[in-house]
Amino acid sequence: MSDEKAIQVRDLHKYYGDVRAVQGVSFDVQAGEIFSLLGPNGAGKTTTISVISCLLRPTQGDVFVLGHSVTREPMAVKALIGVVPQEVALYEDLSARENLTFWGKMYGLRGKLLKQRVDEVLEVIGLADRQKGRVSKFSGGMKRRLNIGIALLHRPQVLILDEPTVGIDPQSRRSILDSVKELNRRGTTVLYTTHYMEEAQELSDHIAIIDHGKLIAQGTHTELVRIVGELHRIDLTLNVEATSVIERWRAVAGVHRVSAEGGRVTVLADDSNLVLPHLFEAATQAGARITSVEIQEPNLETVFLHLTGRALRD
Amino acid sequence: MKVLDIALKDLRRFLRNYFFLGLGIGVPVLVGAIFYFAFGGLASDGRFNLPQIDVVVVNLDEPVAAYGNFSAGEMLADFLKSEELGGLLAVTESNSAATARAAVDRQEADVAIIIPADLSAAMFDPQGRAVIEVYHDPTLTIGPGIVKSIVTQFVDALTGSRIAASIAYAQLAKRGVTVDGTTIQNIAMRYGEWSASLAEGQGAGTLLTVRSPAGSKEQGNRLLAMIGGIMASMIIFYAFYAGAASALTILQEKEDGTLPRLSTTPTPMSAILGGKLIAVFALIIVQVSVLMAFSSLVFKTTWGAPGPMLLAIVGLVVLAGSFGIFVMSWLRDTRQAGIVLGGVMTVVGMVGISSVFTGTVPGAGGGIAATLPLFTPHGWALRAWRLAMDGGGIGDVLLPLVVMLALTAVFFSIGVLRFRKRLGGH
Repeated sequence: MSDEKAIQVRDLHKYYGDVRAVQGVSFDVQAGEIFSLLGPNGAGKTTTISVISCLLRPTQGDVFVLGHSVTREPMAVKALIGVVPQEVALYEDLSARENLTFWGKMYGLRGKLLKQRVDEVLEVIGLADRQKGRVSKFSGGMKRRLNIGIALLHRPQVLILDEPTVGIDPQSRRSILDSVKELNRRGTTVLYTTHYMEEAQELSDHIAIIDHGKLIAQGTHTELVRIVGELHRIDLTLNVEATSVIERWRAVAGVHRVSAEGGRVTVLADDSNLVLPHLFEAATQAGARITSVEIQEPNLETVFLHLTGRALRD
Repeated sequence: MKVLDIALKDLRRFLRNYFFLGLGIGVPVLVGAIFYFAFGGLASDGRFNLPQIDVVVVNLDEPVAAYGNFSAGEMLADFLKSEELGGLLAVTESNSAATARAAVDRQEADVAIIIPADLSAAMFDPQGRAVIEVYHDPTLTIGPGIVKSIVTQFVDALTGSRIAASIAYAQLAKRGVTVDGTTIQNIAMRYGEWSASLAEGQGAGTLLTVRSPAGSKEQGNRLLAMIGGIMASMIIFYAFYAGAASALTILQEKEDGTLPRLSTTPTPMSAILGGKLIAVFALIIVQVSVLMAFSSLVFKTTWGAPGPMLLAIVGLVVLAGSFGIFVMSWLRDTRQAGIVLGGVMTVVGMVGISSVFTGTVPGAGGGIAATLPLFTPHGWALRAWRLAMDGGGIGDVLLPLVVMLALTAVFFSIGVLRFRKRLGGH
């Protein structure tokens, strides 16, 4: 990692009529790092990276990729970045090789260099032996790998991945995460969006948490967790709707936040050992029964809950 | 270069699309083939060769002694057995109507013609009425149709003769001249000959054209021209369909995410859209070329002089492509495409090519049937094609070509502007 800034997002706003998808987002991505944009669905992650990828024009503000403005020099920016969209975007009636060859041409590759890069990428994504197969016959994991491979053809300095692991099996997910780390090890700057706290935690040098179009926190994992101090996160499941119990639990000494979804409740508290007996007692008084308890050390989920009052899964 | 890469990619995808190949090339060929086989295919000399129709004639007609044993039934039977109809009809005779009908039921004959006993008598009775029965296999249409046509025209000629004889008899009676049955019969026969020669002179009698189906080159050419017209209309109809279907890929790629992804590569939106538009036109060129070549080889279709036809093709390609781009630019998503492709394009297309089935050239007189198609782009394309195919020169196709190019400019401009606005990007 160097001090050079690969991406600079400055006071970014993007509105769709009355809908404010992104409101005043600013952050820097250092060259050579993995930077994760973490937030729930609809938080504004995809809109933010769509502007960085020159897919959308910002309503206000600007983004600079290796010094080039996305509003004034979009072609220069596009030549420097590789974008992996959230949904698989491939031509299913073409083969893997035909897809890579076509997309390589779109990145300006020709002749021997194009063939060489296509061969390289086929090896990297593990599809060399299936290169002539129609993409429509591929499994979901194979399509995901090819989807990523396309963005690597021109060896971009900045790789942007928009939730690349959504809806795939654990094995393919592991493979993708390992590939991202390997690419970063070779010097590629990675901007990664996810709503999986574990992925952001495992991959990232820096993390920005985004919610309702606003950046609510950013820093390293350690820095972010420090925001909630020593708060413990307690996940409880009830045999009834949580509404009858929530107000009682909020009144318990040492409890900072309570959020609920159906019969599942998340409590942020100073010390789980001291608080738990009171939570059981309050539940009993409300006529509810606690059917499971899980206690977690402070993590990014705890941070998000602390900052927004909602669980990241919402 | 990227423009061509995008166009080639789209073209490759289309040529792998079985649905498009079936609808854009298979269906027009199938329609042409249906007409081709309906007329029995082509003889080795390139003319149409209708299959021989097996006819059983049952002549129950009784000659009228008062008129020199005149027998209309015998005349009809002789006519059907005549050498002139020999290539078309294979006639056998039977004495029993039931036997003849049974032969048709057993599919040993295609048609049975049962001439009633009172046919000749009805000829000379002012109130007379006789019915000739044409009994046929219901699964057959063309053969029985031809036989019915022959019989109907024969009866029409007899009726005309009867009227002529009646008038002559009345006029002579007024003048106090008495004529015998043989004279009346002669008058009727002379009228029949005169009527036939008149029809032949005007070339208007379809009976005359059926007389020698295997030997008449003119008849073969007319059928060839009909199949050619049908193939031209199919090519035009499906070229517009292909234009719309290929323009639809712009919306399809947007929904599939490949179009937005293209926008993240260093490829200008003008090149992306340009490439897709080239693919639209290239696809129509491929489709039209394949169908024309197929029609020439199999149906012996002649396309007229190369110059005018080339202009007609160019007009069709640019107009069909632009119309497709225009229509698709108004759709919100591909879900609406089914209604547009299956409904709007089909109705507009059918109106545009309807003149082929009414036997007119769009805009060349003939009332509403010829005028209505010109309210569609298909109609103008068909007008140019028909004029070129009918031997017209460059001057003849110039007007429809100018109209086609003007329509192209309007459709293309609106369609591209709308797509550019919708796709946005840098």
